[in-house]
Amino acid sequence: MTTQDAAAEAAGSGTTTDDGIVVRGVTRAFGAVQALAGVDLEARPGAVTALVGPNGSGKTTLLLVLAGLLTPDGGEVSVAGHDPVTAGPAARARTGWMPDAFGTWDSLTAREVLTTFADAYRLDRAPSRRRIDELLATVHLTEYADRPASVLSRGQKQRLGLARALVHDPQVLLLDEPASGLDPRSRVDLRQLLRRLADEGRTVLVSSHVLTELEEMSDDAVFLSRGRTVVPDTSHGVTSPGDGRRTFHVRALSLPALTAWLDAAGAAWRPDEPWTAPTTGPGGVLVEVNGDEGAAALIRDAVAGGVPLVSAAPAAGALERAYLTLEEERR
Amino acid sequence: MTTVELDEHPVAVPPAHPGHWHVTWHGVRTVAALELRQRVRSTRWVVALVAWFVVVGGLTLLISGALSAVDDGADRQRGALLFAAVTFLVLGLGLLVTPTLASTSINGDRAAGTLATLQVTLLTPAEIALGKVLAAWTASCAFLLASVPFLGFAAAVGPTPWWSVLRVVVLVAVLLAAVCGMGLGFSALVARPAGSTVLTFVTVAALVLGTPLLFGVTYPSVEQTESVQVRVQRTDDVTGNPTTCELTTQQRSVAHTERTWWLLALNPFVVMADGAGTSSSLDQAEARNDPLGVLREGVRLARTGASATIDECWGVDGGRVEPTADAPIWPWGLGVNLLLGAAGFVVAVRRLSLPQGKLARGTRVA
Repeated sequence: MTTQDAAAEAAGSGTTTDDGIVVRGVTRAFGAVQALAGVDLEARPGAVTALVGPNGSGKTTLLLVLAGLLTPDGGEVSVAGHDPVTAGPAARARTGWMPDAFGTWDSLTAREVLTTFADAYRLDRAPSRRRIDELLATVHLTEYADRPASVLSRGQKQRLGLARALVHDPQVLLLDEPASGLDPRSRVDLRQLLRRLADEGRTVLVSSHVLTELEEMSDDAVFLSRGRTVVPDTSHGVTSPGDGRRTFHVRALSLPALTAWLDAAGAAWRPDEPWTAPTTGPGGVLVEVNGDEGAAALIRDAVAGGVPLVSAAPAAGALERAYLTLEEERR
Repeated sequence: MTTVELDEHPVAVPPAHPGHWHVTWHGVRTVAALELRQRVRSTRWVVALVAWFVVVGGLTLLISGALSAVDDGADRQRGALLFAAVTFLVLGLGLLVTPTLASTSINGDRAAGTLATLQVTLLTPAEIALGKVLAAWTASCAFLLASVPFLGFAAAVGPTPWWSVLRVVVLVAVLLAAVCGMGLGFSALVARPAGSTVLTFVTVAALVLGTPLLFGVTYPSVEQTESVQVRVQRTDDVTGNPTTCELTTQQRSVAHTERTWWLLALNPFVVMADGAGTSSSLDQAEARNDPLGVLREGVRLARTGASATIDECWGVDGGRVEPTADAPIWPWGLGVNLLLGAAGFVVAVRRLSLPQGKLARGTRVA
């Protein structure tokens, strides 16, 4: 499928809020463990939404609820305009789900796996056969199309799993750790593919631990902690790259010298690792600067001011920092 | 590629009334084809089938040889015995193989991480369950078909009518389908494949070995001394020859097996013996050499139990009343076996239904 086609399709189908994911106050317990304790989430069509949270924060459980596999104990869920509980088949027909851990039928070829799923979604044979060829090309498995899935590597199986989730052309994509096991090249491909799918007007919800990865491809981010959506301190902008202001990560041999100089210069700064105690030795801070020119001025003045500067670079991982500012501990 | 294709691009359409029990042939076939493909390619399928053929064939020839060594000349008697032996062999081996085919089909898939991805498609739980049963049953029927030549051979030797072969094959196939259903149910209930396989074997063992054992154990409790009607013969005082039959009331120890006969009826081998209908066309002497016929008569008599009059009027021609035990019992046994299979199927469908409220202990959904 080319981008033009996709754009035409997106324009034709018309994206409404019904095509997205809406979650309101969803709870779910497994025995004594409260896996979801009130999740609110909105993923809009045409955007990649990142689902971020520590291990055991309920990401997978939430995705299982959205995929229609688990009944929530309470709350409302709408996936592509349908409730996965009361209108399961309607919601599932529009949802592509890729679990974090899944198997393939080892004896079947990649093409047979996809054909089986096309049949399972009750798709017409002829168009779905063409679509399967396209999907195999999309995930770069064409040369493995007729080899048994048992010869595929972990990353190739992961890509086959992605193709499987896309076989029925779903409006909503739920991807649980899609990048795990992928080589760097495949990660870039995945990022571009998800971007394209979102640009086609689909709703894409991705959970991952690779935060820099997520940051590059996601438009929105939702943080989960202990089964709740939490709003991290995003005053320094999780999602806003660009305009004038940029955050620089500045490190010096002596943290007190650096901060003293910044205070004297009147520059606003904050610790780069707020969760650790301040040191008197080497350390770094985050400084808001006015574009690259502002950064150049900062570095020049700091060196001139006698600060033992080690490095100054654009701060990466806004998502990571937001993640780390989550107050709750991992469990 | 053009935009035209997009208009006809595959859109998944859920069925109009997508209940959990909605079944289409398309859905069942998809699952069954998947299961069979996976099974046929992943196991040494052909090797197993050839091994089966050789074992059944070898045992058939051995039994045949042994019988002719013991009792040469009487081909017709030998034939009935041989047919019974081969029938029980095929049923017994079938009951040994089939539990392994069905009893891991759900929890095995769950462990392999392939079940949930199938569940979220538009296949209904009933289609998934039926497809899995169908695949397991087809596999077990392949073994059954491999033994048909030997059943035919055994029938050709002796007096067994050809339709007995047909009845045996159909009955074994239906019994194996019931076992497949039970196995599927256990595989849906139990998290670990090993556990469900053991439970299926235990169930089959309970039906095969447990029922006669229980019948034997309960026998003393249904045995009691009471006054019963006995037909005795009056002998001529002079010649000592029996002349007439007379109904008397006597105190006898009788077993009320009419209360426990159903235990025997549950047994697949009894179902087989009663349903095969072998010796109905034989005369009395031959029937006594037909194990299937003997077993059938025995169980039918057990069903009659102590309710009938005891007949000891042997000597008078035409005086003896044959015990009337013509009502077939195999429909009962087969029915109960099928009910157990159906129960397993229902359990499987309920456990496969989405979305799930409860999870089996120790399992993750995906």
